[in-house]
Formats: sequence, C-alpha cells, structure tokens
Amino acid sequence: MHKTSIKLALALSLLVGLVARAGESPDKAFEALKTYDWGSDRAALQPIEAAVTAAHGDAAARKALEARLAEALKTEAPQAAKDFVCRQLSLIGTAECVPALAPLLLDEKLAHMGRYALERIPDEAAVQALRDALPKAEGLRKVGVIQSLGVRRDAASVAALIPLLSDANAQIAGAAAGSLGAIGNAEAAKALGEFLTKAPDALKLAAADANLACAERLLADGKKTEALAIYKTLSKPELPKHVQVAAQRGMLAAMRQK
Amino acid sequence: MQDRYRWNRRQVLRSTCSAIGAALAVPAFVPSRVLGLDGAAAPSERTTLGFIGVGMMGRGHVGLLLQYPQTQILGVCDVDRWRREDSKKTVEQAYAEQKDRGSYKGCDAYNDLRDLLARQDIDAVVIATGDRWHGLATVMAAKAGKDVYCEKPMSLTIHEGLSMVEHVRRYGRVMQTGLQQRSTPEFQRACDLVRKGRIGKVHSVFVTFPGTCYDVNLPPEPTPESLDWDLWLGPAPWRPFNHAFHHLGQPKFVVPWHISPDFGGGNLTSNAVHAFDVVQWGLGMDESGPVEITPPETGEVPVLTYRYANGTQLQVTPKLDPKYHTIPKGWDPNTSFQVFGALFVGDAGWIHVGREGYLKAFPDEVLEQPADKDQPSRPVTNHHLDWLSAIRSREKPCCDVAIGCQSTIVAQLGCIAHWTRRKLQWDPQKNEFVGDPEANLMRRRTMREPWTM
Repeated sequence: MHKTSIKLALALSLLVGLVARAGESPDKAFEALKTYDWGSDRAALQPIEAAVTAAHGDAAARKALEARLAEALKTEAPQAAKDFVCRQLSLIGTAECVPALAPLLLDEKLAHMGRYALERIPDEAAVQALRDALPKAEGLRKVGVIQSLGVRRDAASVAALIPLLSDANAQIAGAAAGSLGAIGNAEAAKALGEFLTKAPDALKLAAADANLACAERLLADGKKTEALAIYKTLSKPELPKHVQVAAQRGMLAAMRQK
Repeated sequence: MQDRYRWNRRQVLRSTCSAIGAALAVPAFVPSRVLGLDGAAAPSERTTLGFIGVGMMGRGHVGLLLQYPQTQILGVCDVDRWRREDSKKTVEQAYAEQKDRGSYKGCDAYNDLRDLLARQDIDAVVIATGDRWHGLATVMAAKAGKDVYCEKPMSLTIHEGLSMVEHVRRYGRVMQTGLQQRSTPEFQRACDLVRKGRIGKVHSVFVTFPGTCYDVNLPPEPTPESLDWDLWLGPAPWRPFNHAFHHLGQPKFVVPWHISPDFGGGNLTSNAVHAFDVVQWGLGMDESGPVEITPPETGEVPVLTYRYANGTQLQVTPKLDPKYHTIPKGWDPNTSFQVFGALFVGDAGWIHVGREGYLKAFPDEVLEQPADKDQPSRPVTNHHLDWLSAIRSREKPCCDVAIGCQSTIVAQLGCIAHWTRRKLQWDPQKNEFVGDPEANLMRRRTMREPWTM
C-alpha cells in the first residue's frame, strides 16, 4: 500500500473514532463483517463499535448485540472479523456468547482473542469453558488456557493444574506454576513447594516467583503461618539473592500483619 | 543468582587487584582505568547494563549511558537485526575509543530479551521498546533480579503498571521511569512553587497534546526477513506486519506504533504523559490521582477534563479558549501551552513551565523569591545518574515505579474516557472505576500466549 493511502487510512480511523456514530444502524456493518479482512476499511465496522458503546446500561440492547456478534463467530468470516467480534464481546459478553467463544480456545489463530473475551466475561460459564478446554488444548493454546485460569484465580482448576508442573513442555509447566501462584490456596502452595525443589534449571526462577506470589496471596487472605512457611523456604542461601531478598521482605510484611 | 555472581565477581576483582598492588609485579600491564585510578570507575564499581529496544529512544539512551564511567554496556537487544547490530557496533566503537584500543569486543546483540535477561553478569536493563512490551519486560527483568530504567509511558494498561510496581517491590529492585522532567531544574522549581502555595490555591491546570488513538486495520505487507515480527508483537494481539508500525532499520521518528490501541494510546500516553507527571507532582498527587474523567463530547468544555478530589480541574487542550475558559489575569489567550509542560492557575496567580528552561509566572513576584528558598528537597539534574546512584544506594530514584505508574494511569484514564465516550468516576486508592464494570474491564488486557505477567 502506498504511504499516501496508509496516511488516508490512519486519518480515516481517527475521524471515525472522533465522530460519534451512535444511533446509526449496525446492519450494514454486520454485513461488512462477513468479509472483513486485514486491510479492509475499518470505518465499515464503526457502527457496531458505536452501538456497543451506546448500549452501556441498556441490557436489552447489549443482549441483542451480543447475540448478533456471537452468531458472526459461527460463520466463515475471516480472522480479522472474528478478532473484532471478540474485542466487542469482551466488553458486553455474558454466558450467552460463551458457547460461540469456547471453540476458539482450540483454534491456532483465534485462541488468544477467545481468551481475550472469556477472561473478561464475569459469568462462571466463561471459566467453565476454560476448564473444559484445558485437557483438549495443546502447545501454546494450552499455555494460554492455563494462564487465563490463573487470571481468573480458579481454585477449581488447581487439581488439573498440578500435574502440569511436570509437563515436558517448559512453557506449560511454567504457566501452570504461575497460575497456581496466582490462585494461591493451600493446595497450590503445597504443590509449588514441591515444584521448587525439583523444577529444572530453566524454571527455577519461575518456581520461586510462583511461590512468592502464592505467599502474598495467602498473606492477603490472612493465612500468615502458611505464608511465613513459604518465605522461610525461599530464604535459603542456595536460592538467588534477589529471591532471598524478596522472601525476607515478605517475612517482614507477614510479621507486621496482625 | 545475579547478585551472588556480582558479589563473587567483585570479590575476585578486588582480591586480584590487591594482590597485584601488593606484589608491585606488573604495574605496566594494569591500566589505571582497571584500578579506578584515572577517575574512571573500577570494574567492580561499574553497573553492567543491557538494553531492550534500541530504536529511536533506546539509541539515545545508549549514547548517553556510554558516557558514564560507572557503567558498562554488555548487551543490546532488538527484534530488528539492523538496529541491534548497529547499536552493538556503536557500543564497541565507543569503548574501543575510550580504552585507546583499535577494537573492542564485549557487547553482545540479542534478538530475544529472554536471552539478554538470562545473562547473570548484567545488573540492570534499559527498556525502550514499544509500550506493549514495557510492563512485561520490566516484570521479567525484576524476576531475573535486574534493576530497570523504563521509557514512558510506563505501561500499556493500568493493570500492567500496577503489576510492575508489585514485582519491582517484591524483588526490591530499583526502577526509574523515563519521565525526566523530574530531573529538570525548571520543573522542580515550578512544582515546588505550586506546592508551597505561591500562586494560592490551584483550581485549574492545563496541558497540551490531546487525543488518543482508535483501532486501525492496515493492509498486510510481507514481513521483512530481518525483523522478528512475532516477537515485535509480543503480548499484543496478532496482526500482519505493516511498515507504519515499525520503520525497519534506522528509526525515522518516535513511537510510530502509537496509532493503534494494541500498541499505545496516541498523544495522551506518548506525549501528554510527561505533562501529567508534572501535574501530579505539582499538585502533590504522586500517590493519588484524579477522581473524575470527562471526555470532550460529554463535558461543559469540549476537551478532555479531569477533576481531582479537592476540586482542581485538569484539562488537555492546546490553549485557552475565551469561549469556554476564564482567561487568568496576565495571560495572553494566544499563548499555546508548553510542550510537555503545564500551566498551573491558582487564586493568586499562575505558573507556566516547559522544557529548556521555560518558566513564567504571574505576578512576576512569584518567581522573584530567592532561588535558595525554593530549592527542592532533593535536587536531581540528571535522570540517568539519579538512577545509577539509586542502584548503588538501593534508594528510590526520583521517578520511582510507583510515581511513574500513577502518572501513566492519568493518561490511561483519559484514553478509556475517550473510548467509552462517557464520564467516569475513578477511585485512585483502589485503582478502579466506581460503578462502571465495563470500564473496569478495560484496565487489563489478555496477553497473547505464551506471554504473561
């Protein structure tokens, strides 16, 4: 594309961003969505975005938009179109659109945007979709699902995450450690304590960080004794100096807690 | 690991130098620089550095930090091959000249920041990537035990900023944010005067650089062979390469990527963030922030407007408009606000500050106080040296991570107000929007696998 046309595209995008088009029917935009691909005219989708923004506080309008967006995910629309849809559903999605989003978790090109939406949808159905995808997803998709379960701090996934600490894929094992640390309950703490002693060299720092995160979470939940036990383990001289420093800082914080 | 290594290295160097000195065996073979006798720092006293991102800003940092004898650059990292190789060459040529040698080899070039961060002999990193990488690279560096200098805006999202604070604190790291007005005398004086009440109670502040960015959909172009596009994107959603996001090789200008919300926040986060930092500082709000944000289309004045809990208003606009604003006494309404600066208006006068020594006030007497009376409590005149000094002392630098986080949040709140097109209420203590779950969702974005904080 020539520089002039790129400048024109940028100027147009700015213009459509600045000009409120709420109230304009999104019908044409939904039609454009069917063939919307990388490089397509972004302004064509603006009415949908404006409708999503305008639907704030209007449950009926949100529900109608959600249904139309979810329907678009079931079509053969290009990746760029579904990317756009996931962004909108991340803002207005409910349990209703989860069945349309769930298959994306296993899709090489759309797994990230599926998580982008599901992580934000507050309904339990979104977490269940992530749990369901965990045993089916592979490679990077699995890493992503593990990470999302950590973001959602899903205690119900702890039992499924613990065995992944031993996964031969270091990215999966590291992600499992990170998510267990974020969940930060007693069961996760026990598994992470064991992981600290047997983690391969490449995952030593990830294991330490997960333990620290877990201790902070336990402390925040008022479980001072459990947190102190983790900090004590992490203060051992064989661990990197900055990890020991972190553990000592944590210990001080724990001791200050009533 | 890294600290332990550093300790060992220093112990070894010290003991070696002592042994040499005691024996007086080979003075001719030990340059005074090595012993720190020529005014240069001895190797054991140097902070070893790595650079993550050597585009327009990163190259500037390399050039500046090369000048200091207390630093040694050991590695540079960029996903653009030309940039990393060119920076490596710059570093090695500079050290060869400094050491009066024909050549010097000792700066490694990396494509992947994980390889640079794995270097146990690197004490600290300078992060000058695009915004999308700032938070993640900082957290990765903190986990690896490195101290950090991070360019502005400190983070892409509010959550990333808060996570950076959490991790830097967790590991007791030193982090300086690249909001360098904190190290500039005119800004220090202006903010001190404002805080000391020299213009009375401040009711309004004005800064320029309005506007955020909205999604763009540029056409795919062939990904250049010398660019690792997947790593360039990093935690951001995948999209095809287009040269508008990245100028291959020699950078043409700063922040080309900030046209897309996936990579930046337009003027507010790229430019106005400097001014927001000055405002936060001058208002004594380093640990807080505004409580209400009104986008241009819904306010009484058609510009982005913030309100602090004490009623002080902050507006983002190039100049005062008599149609909407009460023009303060002594102010020429044709005056544009200083780039990266701010106009503080109080009930007893105003102060207008900008870069390169710009400092004006009304009435004139505001600035006529003896300078020593207005000395800031901690005068800092060099942002890099302040950081290096903090690394040694383990104290917080002048623009510590928590300060940078709050100033950046001001910019991010403005972006979210633009994107939602509605007035938002913000709780700066809890760092959450009040009564707006949808806006709260926009504080955080899912990172693309395998990246996570």
